[in-house]
Amino acid sequence: MGGLARRVSYIKAFKNRSNMEVPALFVDAGNLFTDDRFSASQLPAEVMTKNKWVVKGYGDFHHDAANISYVDLPYMGELLKKDGFDKRVEEYPFIERLVSANIHPVDDQHRDPVPYVIREVTLKRGAPGQKLRIGVVGFSEAKPAGPNAKETVYAGFRIDDPFEAARKILPELKQKADIIVALAYMDIAGSQRLATENPEIDTIIGARQTSNMDEVQHFNRATITYAYNQTKYLGELRVYVKGDKSAENQINRYIALDSVIPDDPSAVEVVTAAHTEFTNEQNTSAQAAAAPAKPNPLLVGGDSPYAGVEACASCHQEQHKVWENSRHAHAMATLEKKNQQFDNECVKCHSVGFQKGGFQSLYTTPQFANVQCEECHGPGGRHANNPGKGYGFMATPVGCMQCHKQPNDPDFDFAVYWPKIKH
Amino acid sequence: MHRKVSLLVMVAFLAALAVINHGCSRSSGQDSDGGDDSLSFDPNDPKLKERLGEDDGYALAIMYGADIHGSLETCG
Repeated sequence: MGGLARRVSYIKAFKNRSNMEVPALFVDAGNLFTDDRFSASQLPAEVMTKNKWVVKGYGDFHHDAANISYVDLPYMGELLKKDGFDKRVEEYPFIERLVSANIHPVDDQHRDPVPYVIREVTLKRGAPGQKLRIGVVGFSEAKPAGPNAKETVYAGFRIDDPFEAARKILPELKQKADIIVALAYMDIAGSQRLATENPEIDTIIGARQTSNMDEVQHFNRATITYAYNQTKYLGELRVYVKGDKSAENQINRYIALDSVIPDDPSAVEVVTAAHTEFTNEQNTSAQAAAAPAKPNPLLVGGDSPYAGVEACASCHQEQHKVWENSRHAHAMATLEKKNQQFDNECVKCHSVGFQKGGFQSLYTTPQFANVQCEECHGPGGRHANNPGKGYGFMATPVGCMQCHKQPNDPDFDFAVYWPKIKH
Repeated sequence: MHRKVSLLVMVAFLAALAVINHGCSRSSGQDSDGGDDSLSFDPNDPKLKERLGEDDGYALAIMYGADIHGSLETCG
């Protein structure tokens, strides 16, 4: 489900269906870059590569704007460096479509992001022949740092109060735009407050790793809708415009980006090139990590809490047979087919004990590839050394939901899946 | 003479048609931001048409997403 290549195809099909009469914008509500393993003010080389391809892909396929969320800040620190900025923008013009009205650098080495962009289109319906200016502005909540705590400074950026920022910027934007779309990386209560306090806003598109496809809400003049996590479903907001160019009505749909939607070949080329470069970077860093100079401390001297599937099979042959014929046993092959076997975002659900003393990478810990027994039953190293009762409890279906959660596996049905692996 | 006039009318008609078509494509290109809108698939595929839904007269569409977290493609 999802992916750039299907998104691009759907938007092309959409335009074609309306005989190219309907302008179709694409906006991203935030968390488009990964901050995976950000430490000491730096992102690993392969993570930088991943993010670079997002900027390129979004630019190549004419995305109109993206909101900068707190998650995006480590990479924004690279993009907004004053040193070399113009050259960077020349190479990746999409940088100038990354918006935030409440995020600012704490030093003078970085530029401020633009608070909003304005997209002008010519209408053929509603108010035919008239130009419509759509202002897209961005807001983000601060970085959660605990149940009731927020980090307002992260990765060299200050995250100001989004509601105060909205009150300041929206009257200015209203002078320049006919319709205002606010991208809001915050919870629904935050979006409702944004709408209630700011009558200038026509549409709020929120995001916060949600996977509910709820009906749109209306607060004040604004329609509020939320983006689906990972864009596995594409949001489609249809806007009906009156003769005075105001939005008369807005209808929201979520489009499943499954195999019904064909891949766009030119987008596939970009995705493939991104994979190739990312995999090469990952290979380099994984090989470096596998060198004797940098052993995994959790595995030194056999200290891993995991035993591995072969150890389990030595006593539990029947159960092992069932597992061998399940998709769990071939989970890594699924990633290898798409060249994603080095992508940490993916391997965590296709291996056992990822970053918990089990799987690290195919170079260092190939024995822990695939979803093995201990991913569900828990680390079994001690049980393997001293077999006995008391090990093996499984919390179903809660345990399964760690990976088979709605955004990853929207069709997951425990009653259907469980008999396939029951042993 | 009559033939010449007919020819002139025809040429004028074709020229006007060309101008109109050119105007349409420029106008429609404004929303595509210079992008390539060519299709590599059959837009009349029944399943795809069903997914696109009815064209009920909307004037503008805003497609949106979020949380791709560095991945142009989803896992597996």
